[in-house]
Amino acid sequence: MAEDNSFMSGLPELAILRLLQDQEMYGYEIVQAIAARTAQALSPGEGVIYPLLHGLEKSGALKSRRKTVMGRSRVYYSLTVKGARRLSALTSRWSDLNGAVQALMGGALAVQ
Amino acid sequence: MLFNNLAEILLKGGIAPHHVRRYLAELREHLEDLTAGQRAAGFDGEDAAIRARALLGSDEELAAAMLEQKQFRSWTARAPWAVFLLLPLFVAIAASMLFIGPLVLLGKHYNFLQMGAPPPPLWFQTLAINVVAAANLAVMPLVAALFVAIAARQRLKLVWPLAATLLLLAAFIHSDVSFLPHHKGHLMLGFGSIFMPSAWKTTVEHWPLVSAQYLLTLLPVLWLYRARQRV
Repeated sequence: MAEDNSFMSGLPELAILRLLQDQEMYGYEIVQAIAARTAQALSPGEGVIYPLLHGLEKSGALKSRRKTVMGRSRVYYSLTVKGARRLSALTSRWSDLNGAVQALMGGALAVQ
Repeated sequence: MLFNNLAEILLKGGIAPHHVRRYLAELREHLEDLTAGQRAAGFDGEDAAIRARALLGSDEELAAAMLEQKQFRSWTARAPWAVFLLLPLFVAIAASMLFIGPLVLLGKHYNFLQMGAPPPPLWFQTLAINVVAAANLAVMPLVAALFVAIAARQRLKLVWPLAATLLLLAAFIHSDVSFLPHHKGHLMLGFGSIFMPSAWKTTVEHWPLVSAQYLLTLLPVLWLYRARQRV
């Protein structure tokens, strides 16, 4: 998948890949899980998750299958090996960024 | 209808129809889940539906998210010149071969097309003449209709299917069959500009068929023009 350099780039992608690392999920389930785990901090229009899911699938990071559970047919997404590698790279990148922000804020607080 | 406006925005934005269909299908399913969630939260009927639709995102927001994903753009949106200026001739030639191919195979099987062979039996001559006439009448209109359908489905400008149609008419793809005594009975598939002398000869000789072929080829693009005028 092409690298996007905007500041928030990769964050929704990271959240999706991380959730799907544990189990396969459908779109609605993923959105609810992201909202719950981030205390609604990441809550765009819920439908915008699908282009992202389709893009990740096209890049080989995810695979999908239609499955019927309790009479409801839905598209379930799961992580591929390529997706796991992508998750590892994104996790490392965001950990570095998190560390940098922590250091910056700590420095700013010390100056105050 | 639900998401009609969104579908139009996406198709006009060049997103391939199958990606649009898949996106809308998953949005519908998501909306059902959201509506059920709102009902479970105590909102009734229309209120639950309105709240669910708002949570899903506005048409503009949903469209922008999809349009950002350039890999979902169709080939007709990325390179319409290739689809409408290069493909029609190849498709027309391939379609003509589909008509003529079985005739050639049949002729070869019975050795009708051998050099010096006696003229083929009447049934084969009749069959060949009719198949070739059908190919000449049907191929160009069908191929023109195919490219008009692609343009209509993907909300493309009229200029592209019109260019494809004019290209087909100018190329004048046609098949020919002749059975000459003591010569190799042959089936021929040819194409060339209408301005070529041989094409003019065919046009004059078979003017009712050629006129019908031209008229039928133009019909799909005229239909699309009328349909867009009504909208």
